[in-house]
Parts: sequence; structure tokens; C-alpha cells
Amino acid sequence: MSDSTAGLLAENAPPSRGGRANPFLLVPITLFFLLLGLAVLRSPSLMSSAGIGSAIIVATPLILATYALMASVISGRGTVDLSIGPLIGFINVTLIQLHGAGILTNPIVIFAYAILTGALYQFLFSLIVIYVRVQPIIVSLSGYLALSGMNLVILPRPGGVAPQFMADWGLGTSIFSPVFAILVLASIAWLLFTRTASYTHLRLMGSDERAAYTSGVPIYVVRIGAHLISGAFAGLAAIAFTALISSGDPSQGTTYTLIAVTALVLGGASLAGGRGGVFGSFLGASNLYLITFVLATFNFGAVQSFVTNLAYGSILVISLLLTLIIPFIQRHIHNFSPVLYFVVLGLVAMGVILHATNDRDPRARPAPVEEIAVVQPLGPIASEQLYVGPLEVAVPDRADGELRSQAGALVLSALLLIVIAVFARVAFSQSDRRTIAPAVVVVVTALVLFGAYLMRAEGPLASGEPDGAGTVEESR
Amino acid sequence: MTTLASPPKLGLPATIIGLAVGIVLTGIGVVFGFLQGLSVQLIILSAIATLAAFVWGWRFVLGQFVEDAPTRTEGGIGEGRKVWLQFRPAIYGLIAIFALFLVFSLTIEGFFNVWNIISLLIILTIIVLTRTLGRHFQENRSAFIGIMVLCGLFSIGSMNIDGFASANNIKSMLLFAAFLGIASVGQTLVALLGGLDLSIPFIIGAANVGLLYLIGLGVPPWLATLIVLAIGALLGVINGLLSYRLQGQALIVTLGTGFAISGGVQIITSIGSAYGGNVFGTVPAWLSNLAAMNGTTFGLPVPPVIVIWAVIVIVLIAGMRLTVYGRYLYALGVNRTSARRVMISELTYWVMVYAISGFFAALTGSLLLGWSGGGFIGVGDQYLFLTLAAVVVGGTSLLGGQGGYGLTVIGVLVLQVLSSFLIGIGLDFEWQQFIFGLLILPMVALYARSPHIRTQI
Repeated sequence: MSDSTAGLLAENAPPSRGGRANPFLLVPITLFFLLLGLAVLRSPSLMSSAGIGSAIIVATPLILATYALMASVISGRGTVDLSIGPLIGFINVTLIQLHGAGILTNPIVIFAYAILTGALYQFLFSLIVIYVRVQPIIVSLSGYLALSGMNLVILPRPGGVAPQFMADWGLGTSIFSPVFAILVLASIAWLLFTRTASYTHLRLMGSDERAAYTSGVPIYVVRIGAHLISGAFAGLAAIAFTALISSGDPSQGTTYTLIAVTALVLGGASLAGGRGGVFGSFLGASNLYLITFVLATFNFGAVQSFVTNLAYGSILVISLLLTLIIPFIQRHIHNFSPVLYFVVLGLVAMGVILHATNDRDPRARPAPVEEIAVVQPLGPIASEQLYVGPLEVAVPDRADGELRSQAGALVLSALLLIVIAVFARVAFSQSDRRTIAPAVVVVVTALVLFGAYLMRAEGPLASGEPDGAGTVEESR
Repeated sequence: MTTLASPPKLGLPATIIGLAVGIVLTGIGVVFGFLQGLSVQLIILSAIATLAAFVWGWRFVLGQFVEDAPTRTEGGIGEGRKVWLQFRPAIYGLIAIFALFLVFSLTIEGFFNVWNIISLLIILTIIVLTRTLGRHFQENRSAFIGIMVLCGLFSIGSMNIDGFASANNIKSMLLFAAFLGIASVGQTLVALLGGLDLSIPFIIGAANVGLLYLIGLGVPPWLATLIVLAIGALLGVINGLLSYRLQGQALIVTLGTGFAISGGVQIITSIGSAYGGNVFGTVPAWLSNLAAMNGTTFGLPVPPVIVIWAVIVIVLIAGMRLTVYGRYLYALGVNRTSARRVMISELTYWVMVYAISGFFAALTGSLLLGWSGGGFIGVGDQYLFLTLAAVVVGGTSLLGGQGGYGLTVIGVLVLQVLSSFLIGIGLDFEWQQFIFGLLILPMVALYARSPHIRTQI
């Protein structure tokens, strides 16, 4: 992942330090785990199979919309595609109407229709930008107005029925739903694209179009390509959106424009072009989803939506202001690695999740918690509870105490693994003699793992969660 | 429109032919006028206008070819070929419009009438004039084209729609244009520095609700208005300070503050109220008079809002041209580095334009309260993209340094005339929006095309 999002920094940081990571991911990652922890503490049912499944169903259209926006934003000239929301709505309503007329029935045809429609629109968009040469934001503003009017003409009010095979997707009862598959495939497709020369050309064009032109990059072809990718993502987003609402809605899709732009910026992309990636976009969109999720768990009575607005806006501004301290951090830490940071925070968050989900009722754990609803707004809370409440969801009893003492060694080994990961990172980046570093890392890792094994042999705690260790091993 | 190239000289035969054609056209117009049963004064006025416009246009259009004549003999390219090369996109556009007209005439019953033909001729004239004359205006090309589009739209509208050119309709168009125009002041200034302010609609809504809330608390209305305006400017200052270091992301910063502002104001107004965000109260009579359709200014039957807008327009245009502040603003917009070299503080101006933006957004909100008579947080929602569209249609570059408030005024008027034209021909809201979107692009493409990349190296 770091390969896709990194690279821009390579110009800034001295190469000997090995800093090729994107420091702009610092804020979204931090925010992501902060919100995730808070969300799990407030509503532990998020971490059930159904909870994650429905979260994926709800968040996927937004994430894919952000991907679509990202692909065109990278191409530079301030191509912030305001029409992305109406485009999703347009594909949604035409899909519903065509399906209602009995034309689109086959799933493959439906997918092809959605992707091709999105790509066709974006193709026109890029042709206008290239040949009429007006500012892209004007083209997108024009498209925003035209398409949102068109949607209302095609489908005056929400209604219609989604194709049957798609209606089942929206239930979100398990994690591995088709929508999840779409999301994963889309992310992988973009990551594969980053391996190609076109992606390098795209980034070069986004950062400096004149330089790209003078160095022989076919800028027209690259720009059209970026828009085609964006259109394909928009088509997928429209399918995920249709699956979510299981019907047609002419105005709901329009709201995705502002949210997707916000998510993109929160994810560390530059609206001026040249910087952005799926990892950051994913984090940005997830953050927005988590913000609304967390705020929905609080109950403010009549002023609920106002407090939501206030908190939403404040978090936006604050997290953008936090990106201002990145240059200071960069001055001291030259080899910031987003993946390592993600893993470290991920382990901490994993601890919080285990705490929140297991402490509440350990005996109920063997039975899968399928029947729990997604969001359960808690009752009104007293003001002192508001500050203390999120930190402690249940008073631990004796069984919890035993579980904790059992888990102690597991936590310790997880911490050891973090230490190893940090050490490996530092050893690789700071050593001048790269040839020695792997040997040192292997020896020290072996020693630490041996120590962990000895401690593990002392206590019979083999029945822990494999997740914590698994995350670290996968990432390395 | 001051920088005309030297007026081309025409030969005697060309002048005579021009005059003759003009007189014939005027005669046709007069005959049609009498057939319609219009009043004589109107016919005479329009006849004079037709003749003058035609003769003026004739001079310039023919002037093109007179000037071009010598180059033909040297270059060896035929006249037709040259015209084709020079005006290729415009000719494509003409052919497309002809084709569209033909299709409409064949498919829609009753479409082929005399008014539609005249409308078609006006559109064609606009395109031809903008392509041929536009190049004479180097500085104010977009203003010239904007005014042309405005005249064309207005004349088409007044021919096709009963009561479009009536005093009442013009007054109401100006009234709404005044609201949009006052709301776009900030957006224009911010765009001149290369920023964007998306918090305008939220501040409008917040001021709208907040003012009524203050009045409901028993604060004297004039004091309440002043407080609201001051808070608006203060919010603008906060916007400016927050977004100064994040100029690339000003779009999102202002959006975030906008959300926070509208949420915060609603929380404040709903504390101790049982209505959950709805504010009730009575709007003072002078505020209603300021913005109502039947308001009077010193006895004249003109809503004062229009006068206020006119004053703002004059002050701003003069200020931007003549004062040091205005010139420094352009200097910063064009080139930050060189502006800093002459000791212009970027921070001061950045914060200042955002403060002005907040102030005028609050003013719009207060005036809209007078117009509607009830507080509503979503009253400004439509201004989110409309202010942007007005700035863009007017021809102010969003990248900074080019444009001005005068252009935005033209943009506002074009948008307003267009939307009331679309309402007038009986289109639903969704069709209006659709056509609106489709028309913005060609209007902007008439003048705001950026140069080819190979010319920028």
C-alpha cells in the first residue's frame, strides 16, 4: 500500500533516509483509529458480523465515489468533479427505470451498463476539458446542474425496485457480501494500475502538466484514461448505492458530491492534483462514515441533527488544521511509514475492540451475535456520564478479571511484535550498510520470539485471538 | 469597452449597401410592429435601435474583412479557407444550431413560427458578433460577450413571453438578482485571491435565523441587525485565519466551518425553545420594506434592496479600480511572490476578503429575512453553487487575479434573466436546472477558454 500512496515525498526527503512514504496519511490514520475505538466503545455491536457487514454496505458507495473523484483529481488542473454525485444518481435512476421496463435483467449486463455509462460520461467530460479548454470545475458544475435536473426528469420521486439479485445485497448480514467483493476488487484494480507507466505519467501530469508535455507524455491520452477510470469507479459506486437503497432515488445521489470531496481531502489528497491514493481515500471515506456513526450513538434529543452538523464541521476543520503540523513532524521523523503506523494503531484498536466486545458479556461470546441491530441509540445520558461514559462500558466482574489475566501474555507478545516491527523499520532505514540490516533484524527477531515462546510456555493461554499476531505478520 | 481598436474604414459602396439593408430590416420591423398592434412610441424606439445596432455592427463586421484583405494576397490562402480556419468552432456551432432548429421544426407542432425564427437569428447574431467583434476588446472581452448574451436573452424572452419586459417582472428579476449579487460579492473577492468560500450559504441561513431569534429576544431590531452583521464579519475573519495556511483546501475548510456555524446557531436558537430549531417572531416593518417586492425607496416604487445593491456595485467597482486596496488585491491574485516583494501582506488581504464575504453573506441573510418574513436555516442553500456559477459565468477566473465585481454583476444578471426566461416558458424546476447546466458551459466557452498547453511553455 505504501508504494501506491508514497512516492511524492521521494522528491522532498533525502533518499538515503529511505523516506518514501506519504506523511499526509498520518492524520487520516490517527483519526480512523480514534473514531473506530470510540465507535466500538459506544456501540459494541459494530464489531459483530452483521455490524461490519452493514457498515460495509453503507460505506461502500461513499468509498467508491471517493475513488472516482480521486482518479480525476490526480490528473491536475483542479479537476474536482462536482458532478460525481449526480452521475451516481443518474446511473441509479436509469438503471432502475430500464430494469423496470424489462430491458436490463442480466447481472452482467447491468454491471456493464453502469460502468460504461459512467465511463462514457467521463469520456465526454475529458473531451470537453481537452478540446474546449474551459476550466474543468466549470464543466463539472455544468454537469452537476444538468444531471441533477435530468435525474428528476427521469424519476420524479424515489421509487422503483432494484433487480432481485441486488436487493439481497443490501441486507448486510455478513461481512463477505458481493458489495465487499466489489470494494476489494476496485481497490486491487487501482493498486494494479499504480504499477503501470500510465500511473507515473498521470501523477507527473497532475503535478506539472507543462513538464509532462515537454517530456513527451501523451497528456491527452493520459487525461482521457484517468477520466475513464473515474467513470468506471462511478459506475461501481452507483451499483453499490443501488444495492444500498434497493430502489431509485433522484436526489440522494447528489449529496455524495460534497461528502466525497470532503472524504478525499480528509484522506490526504491534494485538490491541485498529483497526490492521492486508494488507501487515503478509503480512510477518508471511512472516517466520515465513522463520524456519523459515532454521532448517531449519542442522544441529544431535539438538537441531535444540529450537534451532528456542528461536530461534523469541527472535525473537518480540525483534521485539516492538523495536517499543518506535518512539516514539523517531517523535520524530525524522516522515515514515517504509514503501514507501520497503521499496524501499530491497529493493534491498539484491536485491544480496544476486544475490551469492548468481550468485557460486556464473556459467556455470550461463543454464540454468534447475528440478531443485534446495527445501531442502537442509547438512552439520554447525564452530563457527567457523557465524559466518563465512553471510556468504560461495563464494570468487570471476576470472570472478566480471569480473562484479562489470561490475555496478559497475549498483549505482551503483541507489544513485542510491535517492537520488532519498529526496530526492523528503523534498522532498515537508518543503517548505511543495507547488507547488514537484514541479518541484524533476523537475529534480534529470533531472540525476541524465543523470549516470547518461553513466556508462552509458562502459561496455558493458547486460546487467544490470532488476529493481533496475524495482522503484524501479514504486514511484514 | 474602452479599448476599441481603431475603427475600420469602409468603402463607399459597402456603406451604402449596409445602410440600405439596415433600412429594409427596420422597415420589416416596423411593419411587424404595426401588425402586432404595438404602441407607436415603442415601434419608433425599436426601429431606431435596430437601425443603429445594425449600422454599428455592419461597420465592424465588414471592417474585419477590409483589414484582412491585404494579407490574403501575400499569404495565398483563399478568403473562404481563411474564414474557415479562423472561425471553425463557431461555424460548427452555427451548423449545430441550424440542425437543432430544423429537427425541432420538423418534430414539434407549431414550433416553426416567426418568433422562434427571430430568436434563432438573435442567437446566430450573438455568436457571429462574439466571434468577430470580441477580439477587439482585449481587456473586457468577457464583459462584452456577457452583455451581448444578456441582451440576446432579454430580447428573446420579451418576444416569446407575455409580460416578460413588463416593469413588474423586471423589478422582480432585479430583486432576486440583488440578493444573488450581494451574496456573490464575497465569492468574487475571494476568487480574485484564488480561494473559494463555500460557507456563504450557511452564514446566510444562520444570519436569517439568528436575526429573528435576536429580535424575538427583545433586542432592538437595528441593534440586532448590526450584531448579526458584525458576527458575520467575525465568522469571515475566522474562516480566513483558519484557511490561510490551507489555501489549497479552502473549499473544504469553509465547508466545515459552514456546517459548524449552521449547527451552532441552531443549537443556540433552540435552547429553551420547544420548537426544535424553528424560530418565530415578527419582522420589523422597515426590514420588510427593505426587501419586499412592493417596497419603496424614498417614495419611489423600487425595493430598497436594488438601490443598496446598486450602491454596493458602484462602490466596489470604483474601489477595485481606484483605491490602493483594490489594486493590491489584484496584485496578490496574480502573483503572490512579487506582491510580497512590494510589502503587501498576504495574510491581511486573505483575512479581509473572507471577512467581507462573511459580512455580505450575513447581509444577504438579513435581507432575505425581510423578504420572506420568517426564519429558515436552509434559505441560503441554493446560493452554494449559484454564487459560484455567477462568478464563473461573469468571467472571473477561479485561479485568481482576473475579473472583478463588474463581471459578476453581468453574470448574476445573465443567470437571473435566464432562469426567469425558463420559468416564463413554463418549464418545471428540473428542466430549468437541466438547461441551466447545459447553457453554462457554452456561455463560459465563449470567452473563458484557456490557451493551448504548447503556448504556455
